[in-house]
Amino acid sequence: MSSRRSRSGPTLNFKAVLLGEGCVGKTSLVLRYMEDKFNPQHLSTLQASFVTKKVTLPDERRAQLNIWDTAGQERFHALGPIYYRGSDGALLVYDITDQDSFQKVKSWVRELKQMRGTEISLIIVGNKTDLEEQRAIGYEDARQYAQTVGAQYLEASAKENEGVAEIFELLTQLMLERLSQRERDAEPPNLLRLDASDAVSVSEGEEGNGEDTGTGQRSCCGI
Amino acid sequence: MATAARPPSLRLGQQDLKCRRGCGYYGTPQNDGLCSKCFRDRNDKQRKMLKAGDMQPIIGGSSHGPASFSAGGTLERRSPQHFLVRDTPKKQVDKEPDTTSMLQKKKFTAVLQKTLQAGAQKIAQQRGYVPDPTESQFVKQLQKLRIPDDGKRKLKSEIQRLDNEIRKYMNSHSSKNIDELSDTVQNTYTKVADIVHNDPRFEIATNEDRESAIDFFEKVVMTQNHKFLFSPYFTTDEESDMMVQKRIRQLSWITSKHLDCSIDEVNAEARDLVYNAISELEKLQCTVRCCRHIFELLKRATGGPASADDFLPALIFVVLKANPVRLHSNINFVTRFTNASRVMSGEGGYYFTNLCSAIAFIENLNGESLGISKEEFDALMQPDAGLQSFSSPWESALMACESLHLISENMKQMEKLQRKNADISSGIASFEKELIEFQREVTERVDTVMAKAPLTLLPIKTPAFLIGQARSQLLQEMHEGEAGHYQANVLSGSQSLTVHSGMVKTAVAAEESGLALKDTSISSIGRLSPLPNLQQPDNLFASPIFNYAAFDAVSLLEEPSSGGCADVLMLGAELQGGLTNINYDFDLSDQSGENSTAEESKLNLDEFDPLAQPQPQPCGAPAAVEPETSLLNTTTDSLIDSDVPGTCVSLPSPLKPEVANYRGFSNFEIPSISCNTGDFSSLGHDVETTEKPK
Repeated sequence: MSSRRSRSGPTLNFKAVLLGEGCVGKTSLVLRYMEDKFNPQHLSTLQASFVTKKVTLPDERRAQLNIWDTAGQERFHALGPIYYRGSDGALLVYDITDQDSFQKVKSWVRELKQMRGTEISLIIVGNKTDLEEQRAIGYEDARQYAQTVGAQYLEASAKENEGVAEIFELLTQLMLERLSQRERDAEPPNLLRLDASDAVSVSEGEEGNGEDTGTGQRSCCGI
Repeated sequence: MATAARPPSLRLGQQDLKCRRGCGYYGTPQNDGLCSKCFRDRNDKQRKMLKAGDMQPIIGGSSHGPASFSAGGTLERRSPQHFLVRDTPKKQVDKEPDTTSMLQKKKFTAVLQKTLQAGAQKIAQQRGYVPDPTESQFVKQLQKLRIPDDGKRKLKSEIQRLDNEIRKYMNSHSSKNIDELSDTVQNTYTKVADIVHNDPRFEIATNEDRESAIDFFEKVVMTQNHKFLFSPYFTTDEESDMMVQKRIRQLSWITSKHLDCSIDEVNAEARDLVYNAISELEKLQCTVRCCRHIFELLKRATGGPASADDFLPALIFVVLKANPVRLHSNINFVTRFTNASRVMSGEGGYYFTNLCSAIAFIENLNGESLGISKEEFDALMQPDAGLQSFSSPWESALMACESLHLISENMKQMEKLQRKNADISSGIASFEKELIEFQREVTERVDTVMAKAPLTLLPIKTPAFLIGQARSQLLQEMHEGEAGHYQANVLSGSQSLTVHSGMVKTAVAAEESGLALKDTSISSIGRLSPLPNLQQPDNLFASPIFNYAAFDAVSLLEEPSSGGCADVLMLGAELQGGLTNINYDFDLSDQSGENSTAEESKLNLDEFDPLAQPQPQPCGAPAAVEPETSLLNTTTDSLIDSDVPGTCVSLPSPLKPEVANYRGFSNFEIPSISCNTGDFSSLGHDVETTEKPK
């Protein structure tokens, strides 16, 4: 949403949230991504729960990627909507050695579909591939699940720095596609939109909401 | 358009969700059950209609515009743009969901609005005259912006437009909806962003300059209108503030352990940092700084960059301990009126969101979310438990901190109230002054009128024909040899009387020119009215003998109080001042027909002018003359009547109201002059007494 607001400007603004159970490595992923591509000093002096990254898109446009880390504890689960409201993409992270964290991802997916519909690009990330021997969720299972909910699936290891950058690159790409699709939508509205709403049956009431404006963000205290 | 807070769990039937137009999309209640597309279409249509139909009133309403522009924004030359641009926002408001009803309301309140606008405009003008320090600051900042001058001008006009719009909205609408206003503001932000990025005037500006221009826009508008937009009276922000505050106070027993956050309460350094964070929470603008403090804190606690897992609990803890005042008001202000696209997506936005989360968590937390049983939680929520926890120095310090915040907030409130109070008392003072002034004015006016036409009791004028009669009678009697000394006196008196009448006439004329006539007549009536009724009969019965005695009684009335009637006594007291007065009254009563009081006497004068000899006398004279006139009366009296008991006559005579008697006589009894003569006779003796003192 924020991106749409400023899309007339040259700088695109993307907001992505990191969701997932505690201790699955959300923060580690961010840290790894930022440290490898950016000045590590800068980051370590601050924190890891909110980072911005400037990326140059293939079409020469520049975009700013805002990554919002969230608290994973169960007790804060109810606060999720406050965070993912108005975001363009979400990384759903789970621990491949932890079945519970995968279930948590599923619940997040359900919630996101219900709240945001097709408004948001989803990537499910299986973290901790370095612990392959303790794997609890098979790659194929996860990939298939992701397919059924219209999400991408990637595996990574923050510890070994495997596939981390790819996650964020893919996310940026997805969000960009969604954005340009939305822009196309705006031109010849009816046909495309019909497809969109048919494809996602869970999206119900949020459909009209997300489609209008970015005002949803304002209501973060409404919960 | 308006898609504000919506409960996430709200589920409706499939049918309800479809757009009412049947286009197949989903509709939302906010959009009147239409999907966003249909809703937009409909609004566009309505807007177009409005544009055609409603243009007139809008123009009328905005006719104040230019003036307030020049007043409020002291700097800019007006350009035709203003007029064009100004009209659009109103239409933006118009096209909000409840367009039709709002429009009607608008028409109803059109008149009211205009007056209010006029008032607001006055205020705006006053503001213009007193150069606002912040405003001049903004001007300086605007000049510093590295954007083309054209762009600056445009930016400024936009600022003024939004500024005006907000004011207008706050001043005019009968039913206010904060979301509506917020949408207006947000739309304007979007528009400004569009302008800044796409307008040719901003072409040469760099991206950073554009961003700063947008920020500048937001800053100016929000600073200027903070007092309107911060927790407006038609929202419930303040109540929620209070609720959160209470809630937090109840939760004061929560320690960092409950929240699993790694703050070491015992460590002094950590404590310092917590205090820092707490103190920074005071202002929402400081949220970012506060969060940085928290991160600093966490970094020390965990030995590395903190993740959100650590951060959120810490923030909750800090909020709990700080219990900032007016939390909701501040948050609502920010959510409604900040530039959502910019602020809400940056670092500040993240912290702000976290703060919102923290508050949501605090509001909804229960035993489960703290990792304790429900019973324990309930027990801890008891007020007693809360009190106990203040025993530790840590808690009491935090309590003191919160109290300090409250104090400062209350001080601000008190200041505001004091200012209001001062306003009111100064208003009262000025009102009082006005009143006094008014009173003074009134008395002055009355005084001038009084001065112009003083309440002068004019000496009686004996009608010429009476004099003539009396004279003839006297002559007769003289001839008869009965007259003696008195009659001679009377004669001379009658002559003087004629002189008098002339004088009276002039005096009356003078009175006529002023307004005093009425006054005099009224006052005289007022004083004398109780008695006139009595007098007539008395006069009829008056006898020379008793009159004489009576007059003595009257003149002496004060001492023996033989009058019996309180009124009479009073009069006596009044008359005590001088005999002349008494005589005067006497005369009036006796000669009712010829009385000197304004109106009647005037009539008389007209009647009897021909006989009156115009011999103007000095004003001081009348008093001296009066006895003489009474002399005449006495003579006549004595000539005619002699039956009435003296006391009866004596009482009424001084008090006789000229008016009543006069009218009666002039209207009906003029022919019966004999009666008057009777009176005269009764007075004749009185005159004697009056003369004696002389």
